[in-house]
Amino acid sequence: MKASRARLFKEYKEVQREKTADPDIQLVCDDSNIFKWTALIKGPSETPYEGGVFQLAFAVPEQYPLQPPQVRFLTKIFHPNVHFKTGEICLDILKNAWSPAWTLQSVCRAIIALMAHPEPDSPLNCDSGNLLRSGDMRGFQSMARMYTRLAAMPKKG
Amino acid sequence: MQNQDGAVADREKESAVSIPISEVDDWANFADDDIMQQQSAIHAEEAKKIPFVGDKEPLSMLAAEYESGSPILLEKIKVLDQQYAAIRRTRGDGNCFFRSFMFSYLEHILESQDRAEVDRIKGNVEECRKTLQSLGHTDFTFEDFFSLFLEQLECVLQGNEDSISQDELILRSRDQSISDYGEWFGWLVVMFFRFVTSGEIRKRSEFFEPFILGLTNATVEQFCKSSVEPMGEESDHVHITALSDALGVPIRVVYLDRSSCDIGGVSVNHHDFLPTSGDKSNAKGGSTVPVKPFITLLYRPGHYDILYPK
Repeated sequence: MKASRARLFKEYKEVQREKTADPDIQLVCDDSNIFKWTALIKGPSETPYEGGVFQLAFAVPEQYPLQPPQVRFLTKIFHPNVHFKTGEICLDILKNAWSPAWTLQSVCRAIIALMAHPEPDSPLNCDSGNLLRSGDMRGFQSMARMYTRLAAMPKKG
Repeated sequence: MQNQDGAVADREKESAVSIPISEVDDWANFADDDIMQQQSAIHAEEAKKIPFVGDKEPLSMLAAEYESGSPILLEKIKVLDQQYAAIRRTRGDGNCFFRSFMFSYLEHILESQDRAEVDRIKGNVEECRKTLQSLGHTDFTFEDFFSLFLEQLECVLQGNEDSISQDELILRSRDQSISDYGEWFGWLVVMFFRFVTSGEIRKRSEFFEPFILGLTNATVEQFCKSSVEPMGEESDHVHITALSDALGVPIRVVYLDRSSCDIGGVSVNHHDFLPTSGDKSNAKGGSTVPVKPFITLLYRPGHYDILYPK
């Protein structure tokens, strides 16, 4: 508990110092609870998520960094490795491939990389995975782009 | 009849610990987290059987294990019995190599009080720190693990304020020590070794690349991310070579498997991992001083335990 708090505090300071280093990630710690964080990440370019801003919620366990943070999308996203209802993310580093070498910031980068490189063979969103697996890129992209417009972009008046 | 009843009872027990049917009805809710929780419940169950680091047992206990087993293994254990006095088992949770190394090394320092060796390894640890920094690791991701290991070196040397006994070393290694990090001690030290191993492999990636290609299809970078840094990933000769080189600690691995050679009865193979000097100018004369490893591990396919020579 003490160690995880100390580590998170170091990450917090690092995030403050490097605020401008990665313009695609805005990581914010909850005012009253250092174990709760949110992040805004930009959809990577040349993907159906381009132009969208996606919100992630982090719940950090007391055993952090020996155990991974729990991360999920708060913004709806159509992606084979993200649960359509819960926003849960299927990413190895958030499960058994976790190591304390990762930070909340680098987890965000890994999630952006996952957005650009979906793994349709281990889908949490089967509809999305099936479109990709059957080679229907057009179908996948238009669905993903539609949800990006609906959920991840400011509503036009 | 009795057996059958037993089997039924077992099955009932199993279903009692599994997830209630109502929740599984909706598979959309049966998420990865549940699977992970179930996995860790299974691990916890396994964990009760063998502590992270067991008690020292006479080698005859090893023979007892194979009583009705392969004759080759029994022959080999007889050979081992001539050279080794005892075995200390470690839990087979994927970290057994690192935990065996941790205990064996710290126990050696505790018994030998070899201050020169402690000073030497501290120099290597400092090099490892620089390696990780030069590979782009942020200090705070590894510094806690490094300081914990350095603290332990001081603890096993006697005459300090925080010197510890062997009993306390065993407690710590079993994550049963009553201190700040007590229940996480082993994990933290294992993670220190994983960082050191990963750093060494990536620093000398040209050297390690062919060995890694022999194991997997992964690049050096991928290998470290997927097979070295994560907890519970098992160790292979690549890990052992890298850790031995990085810390400058020779390791003997004795192989107990069913391989045999026909000529003149059975013999037990061993391999000494002798650290190569990281300093290139020293290496050219092949001036590695022949050292006898003070760490001896028993390898049975998939698992490492600690051996004690006579």
